[in-house]
Amino acid sequence: MALKCELRESCETQQQSPSPSTTLHLQVRTKSLTAILLPAAIRNLRNNPQLLFVRLPNILSFLCIVVGVVWLLLLPLNEYSRHTYISENALLPGQVHAYFTGSEQNIFRGYKKELQALIQEGRDNGPQNPEVESTPAISNKISSILQAAGLKVATQKYEYTSAGIGYQGENVYGIIHAPRGDATEAIVLVAAWKTAGDELNLNGVTLALTLARYFKHSKTGTQAWIDAYHDLHPASVQPLPLKSGALQGAMVIEYPFENHFHSLHIVYDGVNGQLPNLDLFNTAVAIAGGQMGIGANLQEMWKHDDTYKDRLKTILRGMTKQGLGYATGAHSSFMPYHIDAITLQPKGEGWEDEMALGRTIESLCRSLNNLLEHLHQSFFFYLLMQSNRFVSIGTYLPSAMLIAGNFTIMAIALWMRTGYYSDSKPSVPTGSDAPKSKSVKASDPATEKVITETKINGSTVAERVLALPLSLYFTATTYIFVVVDIVLPLILAALLSNGLGISRPIVPQQYLLIKSFALLLLGLSLSTLATLNFSLSFMIGLLCAPLTFITRIQGPAPVRYPISILGLALLNLVSPPTVLIGVCWYTGVPIETVLTQAAFGWDVWGMWTQVVVWCVWWPAWLIGCVLLGSSMF
Amino acid sequence: MAVDRRKVAVFGAAFVLRLLLICLFPSLPDLLTGRVEVSTPVNSFKRLQEGLYLYTRNASPYDGGVFHQAPLLLPLFSLLPDVKRNPVPTAIFYFLVDLVNAHALATISESGQSVQSRLHSAMRKNIRWDGTSVAAWFLFNPFTIATCLARSTSVFTTSGILFAVSNAVSGNSLNAMLALGFASYLSLYPALLFVPLALLCYDQRAQKSAQAPSTALSILQHGSILSASIAGLLGLSVLITGNFWEFMSATYGFHLLVPDLTPNVGLWWYFFIEMFDSFREFFLGVFWLHLASYVGGLTVRLRRQPLFIITSLLGVFAVFKPYPSISDASLYFALLPLYRHLFPLMRYTFFAISALLYSSLLGPAFYHLWIYAGSGNANFFYAITLVWSLGLSILLADSIFAALRDEWEQDHPERKGEEVKQV
Repeated sequence: MALKCELRESCETQQQSPSPSTTLHLQVRTKSLTAILLPAAIRNLRNNPQLLFVRLPNILSFLCIVVGVVWLLLLPLNEYSRHTYISENALLPGQVHAYFTGSEQNIFRGYKKELQALIQEGRDNGPQNPEVESTPAISNKISSILQAAGLKVATQKYEYTSAGIGYQGENVYGIIHAPRGDATEAIVLVAAWKTAGDELNLNGVTLALTLARYFKHSKTGTQAWIDAYHDLHPASVQPLPLKSGALQGAMVIEYPFENHFHSLHIVYDGVNGQLPNLDLFNTAVAIAGGQMGIGANLQEMWKHDDTYKDRLKTILRGMTKQGLGYATGAHSSFMPYHIDAITLQPKGEGWEDEMALGRTIESLCRSLNNLLEHLHQSFFFYLLMQSNRFVSIGTYLPSAMLIAGNFTIMAIALWMRTGYYSDSKPSVPTGSDAPKSKSVKASDPATEKVITETKINGSTVAERVLALPLSLYFTATTYIFVVVDIVLPLILAALLSNGLGISRPIVPQQYLLIKSFALLLLGLSLSTLATLNFSLSFMIGLLCAPLTFITRIQGPAPVRYPISILGLALLNLVSPPTVLIGVCWYTGVPIETVLTQAAFGWDVWGMWTQVVVWCVWWPAWLIGCVLLGSSMF
Repeated sequence: MAVDRRKVAVFGAAFVLRLLLICLFPSLPDLLTGRVEVSTPVNSFKRLQEGLYLYTRNASPYDGGVFHQAPLLLPLFSLLPDVKRNPVPTAIFYFLVDLVNAHALATISESGQSVQSRLHSAMRKNIRWDGTSVAAWFLFNPFTIATCLARSTSVFTTSGILFAVSNAVSGNSLNAMLALGFASYLSLYPALLFVPLALLCYDQRAQKSAQAPSTALSILQHGSILSASIAGLLGLSVLITGNFWEFMSATYGFHLLVPDLTPNVGLWWYFFIEMFDSFREFFLGVFWLHLASYVGGLTVRLRRQPLFIITSLLGVFAVFKPYPSISDASLYFALLPLYRHLFPLMRYTFFAISALLYSSLLGPAFYHLWIYAGSGNANFFYAITLVWSLGLSILLADSIFAALRDEWEQDHPERKGEEVKQV
């Protein structure tokens, strides 16, 4: 009724307009035209269920994906990104004079000589494995240096095993009590013996020692230390004999080479894509650039000329690291404990010496020292595209949400479609409700599979007690999984088409419901994930995008078979193991390394990227394949 | 008595599933016990442990202001072995309570009260699930399992309510009122169910006798049984604690005045955090009045289906109670399958269930961002509790719509299947 009235009214307005002026006339005309067209379009849509329930959701979902991707590509533009700024006024970066100069350099050289002598000694005595041989001597030396500087010193031994490979070592640490402090808060300065790239961090360690003396204050090592600091360490890690207050921030120094450096590379990604407060990064950039005149790099972009391409490249590198969620340096271990941390790596050939790095760190520590409370003012969710430009969560989140939303749109459309097509009886949902319980049943094999999957993982964990380096089997297992992923959907599809052997074969409508629920769960998980780890959600969302559009193909056999086989082949190209192999092939990293790293991440860092892959991506993918495969039976 | 094999299978599977969960993930119960979605100040097992510790050492359990649950739970739990050293007996005790609740639910379902009452007979009687299926919906509901593993004391309130209803539908009004008295004694709010439950008992009695008994007299009788049972339980509590006013203010005062604003899935905590203190009393009154007002409205409008009033009220409580948890939602979801015949008339089930699923995934994620990661804030979690309440409210409104539509179709059989428009 309402529509009709509106129509009549708009017609009247059209007739009544013997126009006094042409512009007014035009205005009225366009208005009435839309008034006529819009209801007409809606009525058309209502009368055309094919369009409403089949085409429109496809178009909408496709649009969501396209807009999501384009959105991300727009982010590097000036209009969408912002200049970084220091939000916490208490930080006052670079406002103090750094006193770390002159005479401290002599001390630096002295410490370095002593350590070098020790390493040389270790090499002479044990040519096989000089580092292991000299570990006790080195840690003794370091403790004695720290002790001589007047610090409380303690050591902590730790041991981790993951995928059959053992990791052990010792942490040496000292605590400086501030002369006028109450020891309730602390700042951590870390120098790992080996850098994240496995190079000897001689200058870094020496610098930390010198700074420790001046202030009067390793990858697994940091994790062991921080876990023990919060009393959450595994049995293989010793508890800490000395502790200080709540940790406010942490800085890691990695200076593994001898020559002078050109710029500072700031690494900030944490485990599971957690990021430190943007203020910490900004302070480091401001101090390095403003006070010391040292340039700052990020995400290994050594040459960044602030073009669109470079900005996008930086964002994408950051997203890859965030999405994979591995620890990019010793600082990553601090992140899960809500301690903001960064790693400073000097890079390039230049004229900055270790003293400049020392002054930077001094200034940074003094800025953090100004804080009255934990860093909280600035952003925790951001994508950096340059050392002074970023986009915040409000701007970038919609792109991942749109991609996750496309699955939900399709799920809702499929649900409505099952209700619409059943028939004209009033008890429409009765038809669709019986399949509901069945579809749950049907997706059960998938969940069961996931459980067995994790059980397989579990047994590998148990086996590592036998000290077998399981990494030997990683590559083979990956290839086996590729084969399993090709065969399994076909078997499941055949079983389903025969009604699992216990009931009637399921009807086409139930296939729609299976797809609806699978996509609903996928959209649900991805949108939740987007709030925790944007990049991972975005990547998995893109890889799952084909699942929205696949469906059970109907028609004569000669058409059905080639299409479904082609579709299955294409889907297998985006299955989790194939993607892993593809990415490894593209980047030239062996599969074994990636999986060993993943196992290590699971065992030591508490990384859950793999859980998302096996519990979100793989089940959704499997159900998609089963749907497509069922068109062959 | 013939053993129903299907029922035994369902109950056994539910028991084994719970046992497997605690064996495979021994840290799961403690994790769930700490979750704000499951444990509220009035049903937390951790707080019960604190009260128990004080009680077994002859101190008043309400000293320290942590424990706010009914005193009769203390002697009960002091019989169980220490949960730190030997958690399995306590867990199994909770499993059994769950099974007993499921049994009561099956009884309610088998009575057929939900489709055929004294004044109402549903149009789609044949579309219904049997008792075992309804019990299965309850036992395998993840919310029920989470509540059970978290050892929340809400399960006893749930038993009280389910037993009250199951006794009422089988015409045993004395036991029904005693069970309701037990539930009200434990958590106060079930007392609001008195009117519909008394109506249910009255209908059952009227159906059996040729001549309908006097309404006022019957209500009075039931009311006095309820008061007597509550008075008896309170008397026992005084024997245990010794100090009547202390335990009254620590338990019922705590329910009524809502001093603890720990986050939960409900709507009260955030509202009262934000409120200026001078308005607190006024809004406490308003919130309670709002909660209680549903009793009158629903009872009058749905007089013909007293069991449906109880179901809907439980849904209302799950949304608007001062300290709701997912156990309240699980109780509502337990009774909802009794109305399988209304599902064809409901219009927004998919959206309501999607909203509930979204909020149950996003809730823990946002809570993590707020409390652990430090990168979110209270508004994140509060927004999700709003979505959760919205989902429940949609489901509630939709089911009430369906029930009214069903009544309307009964009154106008010739117009069955016609489109309706809401104005």
